[in-house]
Amino acid sequence: MEKLSNYKYTMDQCNHCGQCKWIHPSGMHGWDYSEICPIFHEYGFDACSGQGLINIAKEIMNGTLQYGDGLEKMIYSCTACGACDINCKSVRDMEVLDCILALREDCAVNGTLPEAITERKKNIGESHNIYGLPHSDRWNWIPKDCGEDPNSDTVLFLGCAVSYRQRETALAAMKLLRAGGVSFRLLREEEWCCGGILWRNGQTDAAEKVIRRNMDLLHGQGVRTLITACGECFGFFRGAYPKFGAVSFRVRHISEVAAELLEKGKLAFHKLDIDGPVTYHDPCLLGRLSEEYVPWKGTIHSYGLHEPEKVWRRGEYGVYDAPRMLLRSIPGLELREMPRNCENAFCCGAHAKDADQEFALKTAAERRREAKSTGAGCVITACPFCEEALSEPGENALPCVELTRLLADALEGGEE
Amino acid sequence: MSMTLEAYKELEAVVGERNISNKPWVLAGNRARTPEYPFEYHSPDAIILPGCTEEVQEIVRICNRHRICFVVTVSGASVDAYANRGDTVLIDLRRMNRIVEINEEDRYAVIEPGVRHVQLYPELRKKGFTYVTAAVGPGGSVLANYTSTSGDNHNQHGASRANRYLLGVEMVTPEGEILRTGSLQTGSGWFCPDGPGPGLRGLIKGFFGSHGQMGIITRAAIALNPCKGPREIRTEGHSPHQHIYLDSECSKVRVFNYKSLDDVREAMLRIGEAEIGSTVMKFFYLTLAVMMTDSANEFHKLWPRIRRELPMPLVVHLATESPEEMAYEEGILNDIVEETGGVRIAPDLENWWNEHMDFFMVVSVLQRTLRLGGGWMPIKLGADSVSHIVEVGKSISEFIYDYTDTGKIFDAPENFQIVPMEYGHFAHIELLFMYDRTDPNSGKNVAEFRKTSRYTDLKHHYHAETLGCLNETTELLGPLYCNYHLWMRALKNAFDPENLANPILKE
Repeated sequence: MEKLSNYKYTMDQCNHCGQCKWIHPSGMHGWDYSEICPIFHEYGFDACSGQGLINIAKEIMNGTLQYGDGLEKMIYSCTACGACDINCKSVRDMEVLDCILALREDCAVNGTLPEAITERKKNIGESHNIYGLPHSDRWNWIPKDCGEDPNSDTVLFLGCAVSYRQRETALAAMKLLRAGGVSFRLLREEEWCCGGILWRNGQTDAAEKVIRRNMDLLHGQGVRTLITACGECFGFFRGAYPKFGAVSFRVRHISEVAAELLEKGKLAFHKLDIDGPVTYHDPCLLGRLSEEYVPWKGTIHSYGLHEPEKVWRRGEYGVYDAPRMLLRSIPGLELREMPRNCENAFCCGAHAKDADQEFALKTAAERRREAKSTGAGCVITACPFCEEALSEPGENALPCVELTRLLADALEGGEE
Repeated sequence: MSMTLEAYKELEAVVGERNISNKPWVLAGNRARTPEYPFEYHSPDAIILPGCTEEVQEIVRICNRHRICFVVTVSGASVDAYANRGDTVLIDLRRMNRIVEINEEDRYAVIEPGVRHVQLYPELRKKGFTYVTAAVGPGGSVLANYTSTSGDNHNQHGASRANRYLLGVEMVTPEGEILRTGSLQTGSGWFCPDGPGPGLRGLIKGFFGSHGQMGIITRAAIALNPCKGPREIRTEGHSPHQHIYLDSECSKVRVFNYKSLDDVREAMLRIGEAEIGSTVMKFFYLTLAVMMTDSANEFHKLWPRIRRELPMPLVVHLATESPEEMAYEEGILNDIVEETGGVRIAPDLENWWNEHMDFFMVVSVLQRTLRLGGGWMPIKLGADSVSHIVEVGKSISEFIYDYTDTGKIFDAPENFQIVPMEYGHFAHIELLFMYDRTDPNSGKNVAEFRKTSRYTDLKHHYHAETLGCLNETTELLGPLYCNYHLWMRALKNAFDPENLANPILKE
C-alpha cells in the first residue's frame, strides 16, 4: 500500500537540516533533553534518525542498498513515534513517518523481520490479540453490571493491552462514563485488535484484513461514536483507518470525553492521596500522531505545489489539553511539565521492545530521568503501552499511573 | 581502494566498537548529500564518533599513517560535510557536545563542536547573554558556524558576523598535532584570540572558514553579547503555529518598503550612524512569503501579493533595555525612514514579524525556505562596505532575467538580502534562488547561473563571494582578494602535505 516510490518527493527533498533530530526552538529549554529521536539519542549515527531512514529508504528503492547486517533491527528499533515527522513538518512539506512506514512495508516483504514482530502477526491472525492469549479472555472478565446500554450507538473500545493486562483501566473508563451519564456499550467477543500494530510494522495485508473487518463491524452496527480506552488504538483509528476507507463514526479518547464531562459539570474530582507534584507523559498516538488522516491523491508540481491541496498532519491538533485539564482539576494536584512535552514529547520506547528489548528499556529510563527532573514523584500517562514501558524496572524508577484510573479514583461522589 | 581491515581495527581501538561503523546502511545515512549542490559525492568508508580531542588526534594520525582522507561533520547540513572522494573516513563530532564553560565575568562560552544552537542559546539566555546565531536550524553546530563558515546572521547590524567572535581555539592539525591559539596557548585562558600566544585565526579559518581543510577544531571559545530581553522566552501554541511573546515595550519590529536600492543604502547607513536597532536588513521577498506560510500551496497563494506589495522590504528590529530607550530609537528610526522614502507595510504582514522575531526567525522558521520543492541555493555570501554591496545587488539585474524569464530559476529577481553589520561598517549579501529539481536540466542551469554570477563579480571587481575552502570559486576569484587562493594553497600544503583533511571539492 505504502510503496516506497510514493515518497520519492520526500526522499528528494531532505537536505539533512537536522530538524528531525532536535527539539523545535519553541520547546527549547537548555542543553539537556534537547534531542527528540530515541534511536539517534542512543546510537548517534545519522542513519539512526528520520533523515537517515529516509536515506536508507531511498537507497533500498534504488537498489543500491540491501537488507541484512542489522538493518532490519534498526528499522524496527525506531519506535515510529513521529517526533521526526512533526518537527520536520514545522518547516517542510515532507512525509517522514509515512516514508519510514513504507520502508517497513518493503522490509516486511523483502527483509527478515525480527521474530517477535512475526509472532505478533501470528497472534492477531489466530486469536485477534497481540499476545496470542485466548480470545475469550478478552471479555470474559467484564462484569455483567458494567452499566452498558446494549442499544447505545456509542462503543467503548478497550483494545488488547487494556483488555488483557490493564483491566482496571477498562473498569475505570466505564466508571467515568457512568458517572458522566454517557450511554455506551462494549463489543465484548466481537472486539478484535485494532490492527494498528500490524500497520505500523508494515504488515499491511494483515492490517488491512483486520481493519476492514473492524470497519465493517462498526459500520454494520451503526456505531456513531467510538471511545477508546487506549491512546494507541485512538491514534490508529484516527490516523490509519482512513487510509483503508471512509470512517463514518467519530473517534474519541476517554480523556477527551472526560474533559468534556468535566466542563459540563457532570464530573467532579476530590483530593487524592498523592505526595508532591506529578508530571504527564504525552503518548505519541494520543498526542502528535492523533490527527485524522485525510487521504490525498494528486500531483506534486514544480516548487512544491500539491494539486489538489493536501491536508497535512502536523501534530498541532493532538490531544494535549484534555489530560492536562483533567489533572489540574484534581484538588491539590500539582502538574509539572517535562522539558519535552506535547508535540515534542520524547517517546517511552514501548514499541522498540519487539526489535530491541535493551534499547526499549534505555529509552523508557531516559524518559523517566526527564520526568524525575521536574521534581515529580509520579508520572501520569494515558496509554497502557506507555504505562507498561515506564513501569519497567530499571534506572530512574518512579511510579507510573494511568490517567483513567487516577480519575476514577478521584471521582467525587462516585460509586465504589 | 577501500580502507583496509587493519586501518579499521586501529580506528576501532580508539573509539570502541560502538562508535565506528562501516555497515552499508550506516554509511547510507551520510551518503546522500545536500541535494542542492552539484558536487560529486562518494560513500565514506567508515563513520567514526570520537568522544574527546585525544581521540580525534589519534584518528587523524591513523588516517595519516594509512593515507586515508578525513572529513569532519556534525549536523551534516553543510555541503562540505560529506565524503567527496574514495578512501575517506567521516569523523562525526556529535559526541563531543559539552558546554565546557560559560564565563559570565569575561563574557565567553567554551564549547565543543557537538553543541547545537538549540542547546546553547537557552543556556546563555538564562544567564542574560546571547550570541550571534547563523541561520542553520536548531541542530546546527555553533562551533562550526564560528570557525568554519563566515557565520553571517540576521542580527549582525547591532553585532557582527560569528567568526568575529571567535576567541581561543583548540584544534588538531591535519597531521595530528594539537594546536592552541591565542591566550589559550600560554595557559592564560580562553579569553583572547590573538595573544599572548600565536594569533592564528586567519590560518585556521581562512578568509571566511576553511571547512575543515586546515584541521579539526575540537573546542573554541566564543564571545557573548548581553541579552536585551527576558531570560526565558515565553511561547504559546503548538507546531507549526507557535508564537513568541517578547515585551512589546522593549521589542518592536518595523518593516518598510522602498522603491530603490539607493534609498535602502541611505537608510541603512543612517540607521547605522545613529547606532540604533538590533537587526537591519533588506530582506528576501520570496523567502519572506515562504516563512509566513505553512505549506508550499499557501506560499503560492500569498506570493503574488508579496511580490506586488513588498518587492524591497527593509526589516528593522528595535530591542532596548527600557521603554524610554525604545521611544528614543523609534523616534530616530521614523525620521530616517521618512527622509529616505520608506513606507511602512500593511499591519497584517508586519505583525508576523513581531510574533517571530527572535531565535525562531533566525534558526527555525527560515528553514521553510526549503519547502519549495527542495531546489534552492544561496550564492554570493560575501561582504564589503554597504555601498559596495548595494552595487553588487544592483548588478544582479544584469544577468538574472535571462534565467527568471526563461523559467530556469524561480521568477523572483529581487530575492537577495543585504544585511549590514557593525552598525553599517560592513554589509553582507546573499542571493537566494529556487529552482525546479524535477527539471532534468536544473543541474546545468544552476551551474551556469552560479558561473554567470561569479563572472559578473569578476567583471566589476566586486567582493561579493565568500571564499572559504579551496575550491573552484576561490581559484577563480582569489585574485580579487589579494591572491588569497595562493596563500591558502601554500598554507594547506604546509599543514596538510598529503591533502587528507577535507580534500578540495571539485564541482
